[in-house]
Amino acid sequence: MKGKWLATLCLLPFLIFFCAFQIAPLIWIAVNSLKSLDGWGLGNFSEILGSPFYRQAMRFSLEISVWSSVLGLLIAVLGSYSLRQVDSRLRDFVTAFANMTSNFAGVPLAFAFIILLGFNGCLTLLLKQAGLIEDFNLYSKNGLILIYTYFQIPLGVLLLYPAFDALREDWREAASLLGASTWHFWRHIGLPVLTPALLGTFIILLANALGAYATVYALTTGNFNVVPVRIAALVSGDIFLDPNLASALAMLLVILMTVITFTHQWLLRRSYHVKR
Amino acid sequence: MSFLSVKQLHKSYGSTMIFQDIEFSAKQGELVTLLGPSGCGKSTLLRCLAGLTPVNGGRILLDGQDIAALSPQKRGIAMVFQSYALFPNMTVAQNVAFGLKMQKVDRQTLIRRTAEAVELVELKGFEGRYPHQLSGGQCQRVALARSLVTRPRLLLLDEPLSALDARIRRHLREQIRSLQQELNLTTLFVTHDQEEALTMSDRIVLMQEGRIVQSGDAETLYTAPATLFAAGFMGNYNILDAAQASALLGHNFGQQVAIRPESIRINASEGPSAEIIGHTLLGNVIRYRVRTMGIELLVDVLNHDASALRTRGTHVTLGIDLSAAREVA
Amino acid sequence: MSNASRSVSLYHRLVVWLLFLILLLPLAATLLYSLATQWSATLLPSGLTLKWYAALWSDSRFLIAFGHSLVVCVGALLLAIFLVLPLMFVIAYHFPRLDALMNVLILLPFAVPPVVSSVGLLQLYAGGPLPLIGTPWILIGCYFTIALPFMYRAISNNLQALNVHDLMDAAHLLGASTFRAALLVVLPNLRKGLMVALFLSFSFLIGEFVFANILVGARYETLQVYLYNMRNGSGHFTSALVISYFLVVLIVTWAASGLSRDKS
Repeated sequence: MKGKWLATLCLLPFLIFFCAFQIAPLIWIAVNSLKSLDGWGLGNFSEILGSPFYRQAMRFSLEISVWSSVLGLLIAVLGSYSLRQVDSRLRDFVTAFANMTSNFAGVPLAFAFIILLGFNGCLTLLLKQAGLIEDFNLYSKNGLILIYTYFQIPLGVLLLYPAFDALREDWREAASLLGASTWHFWRHIGLPVLTPALLGTFIILLANALGAYATVYALTTGNFNVVPVRIAALVSGDIFLDPNLASALAMLLVILMTVITFTHQWLLRRSYHVKR
Repeated sequence: MSFLSVKQLHKSYGSTMIFQDIEFSAKQGELVTLLGPSGCGKSTLLRCLAGLTPVNGGRILLDGQDIAALSPQKRGIAMVFQSYALFPNMTVAQNVAFGLKMQKVDRQTLIRRTAEAVELVELKGFEGRYPHQLSGGQCQRVALARSLVTRPRLLLLDEPLSALDARIRRHLREQIRSLQQELNLTTLFVTHDQEEALTMSDRIVLMQEGRIVQSGDAETLYTAPATLFAAGFMGNYNILDAAQASALLGHNFGQQVAIRPESIRINASEGPSAEIIGHTLLGNVIRYRVRTMGIELLVDVLNHDASALRTRGTHVTLGIDLSAAREVA
Repeated sequence: MSNASRSVSLYHRLVVWLLFLILLLPLAATLLYSLATQWSATLLPSGLTLKWYAALWSDSRFLIAFGHSLVVCVGALLLAIFLVLPLMFVIAYHFPRLDALMNVLILLPFAVPPVVSSVGLLQLYAGGPLPLIGTPWILIGCYFTIALPFMYRAISNNLQALNVHDLMDAAHLLGASTFRAALLVVLPNLRKGLMVALFLSFSFLIGEFVFANILVGARYETLQVYLYNMRNGSGHFTSALVISYFLVVLIVTWAASGLSRDKS
């Protein structure tokens, strides 16, 4: 049939571009991660897993990602739940603002944090004068957790806000007529209903943090040891280049991300949907 | 000489038969209804006639021309969809004018004929509205105007009233019928509602599981169902097996028998006695449930006097004419 | 209103304001810094000025970088429209089963961080038949993949609400060819959703740094790379840059939300 042929032809340009810029690089990495100086094999992977330096990078990456995701999620839950309870003008304004700040990441964010919390940052000075802190190092692991948490919050709010749709007001009313306290309501209805959404959001935040490169790179000019920084240094650094080792490291990250993404899809399918 | 005649039409998806051996015809200006339960293939049949779905075999003769191989654009057939399928980005006038625009009709004619069609469906003054600003009934009338404006040879209506509430449905039903008669437009109407079919059609084609069960005028289909399915679908027939029917009517039957509830009387002078076991008020009709000889029957009686209502437990004498009983396969 | 419910509502307002303040703080500090004559080792700046903005907006390197960013983002979005629209129409109309596959494919740009893709891209397009590294072309291609999931979701939601099949059938019966029907009936109904997706995509594409820095760097300096390269200059100057960038994002997202509110 002529129609079907033409239709198939319409798919072609998309496929070409998608392959060139998304699939092909991935395949290149997958293949070359298995190639090292000693020939084909898992040499790159065992080198990475055997090196304290790369193991530290992975540990830092995971620590920063997990902590910033937990903190970001916590703030986002409290925030987006309260957002639903306030009058619509305040709600619309803050939601729109969160929407905008979700684009506030990477290099500009790093600079803003230096102004705010750098060695001579205004907030650092304020807190020091108030005697609340001795010193604060933005360029440390804790500093990074803080700045990562910041860019997780708007994302978390945007993802969780619609999830509270699933929590209908009449359930709370029904529960209270049946004699349930606020605590009972959350324990038996609210949390179970929200759990898939909470886990799903946590996972997106985790993936977001694991792959983040711009913020940490701009803040520490590539001197803090996390996985994305290591990958970039192996392909575009100025000391020593090893694209194959970079591929192996990248593959480890991709595998982790794939597991995370699929878990997320699975959770999405399990979440409660409210018919509109 | 029939204007539309469908011959040996069949359609299947792989090994799943959708319909087969479809044969029927329509005279110029007739309204023929395709009636059947959902999933009987009637909507697919309509889409095949329109050319939106290809058939596997058979012929569709419209005005003497076999159109089975033509593309939908060239068939000169219009269709009103169940979902209205109004173009949401266009106003009422733009929707109606779309077909004329495709025919490259000149501007003057386009404006005139669009206005005529809008007036025909009583939507004057709504030309500038968008579909989302209209009620369901108004949307359906726009869809109707859009189909009529191109002066099609054949109009197809795919359950056009099913999404509307009862009052609007009745009104629109009459409007469609009178328009169709006024324009002498050959029309095929698909529905699963027997009442709709009976009130609107010149002829009814009853379908079941992809086959035509019976076709004829409304009167015949209602009073003389050919099969058990037809009897069940066309009315609230009492269905008795051969033995029950023979006992009740004192006549030897070889097959199942269908008796319409309104053909039984409960105030006969002689006949089998029965006990009233319940009733339902259907407005102008009271439907009694009665038991006689261990058989439960439905009996419809005109509701002309509230005091005449027989209460539960009352004993009555049934009168059933032998001619009202129909043997069905 | 009882006492208890009043305190509950006060709590919620407090939380929302706190959230707003947390999100605002870095921006506000940057804004203040960009307007300060001098601000070091004190709580507040010593004076206010607009000279940093004047310096920034008369810096030709900044204007060029801004132009580069616009070219790359607009180019990527045009490419995305050109590639995605026919694809989505064909999937909705002819191959609805491909939608499931597409929903997996569009996860890829999300599951594979830019830093990972860069490794392969650097090797594939450094030389050979397609020496794209260091040119804006590679960024246009990469940004298309970043924008893809958002565009796909937005258009897909629109298409699902549209009942494409009935509309196309109706148009066919009224005499329109498939191409004309798609152009006159389906496309106009996707316009608003598409515009919202484009605005939102633009607002995050213009903030993209990783691909721009690793694949192209100073050879075709975009806004973000320029910002990074200015890190050793005056903090006031870079703050003015950050605020200017954010203003652009603000205008674009505001336009997008205005459009989407319009829709309902």
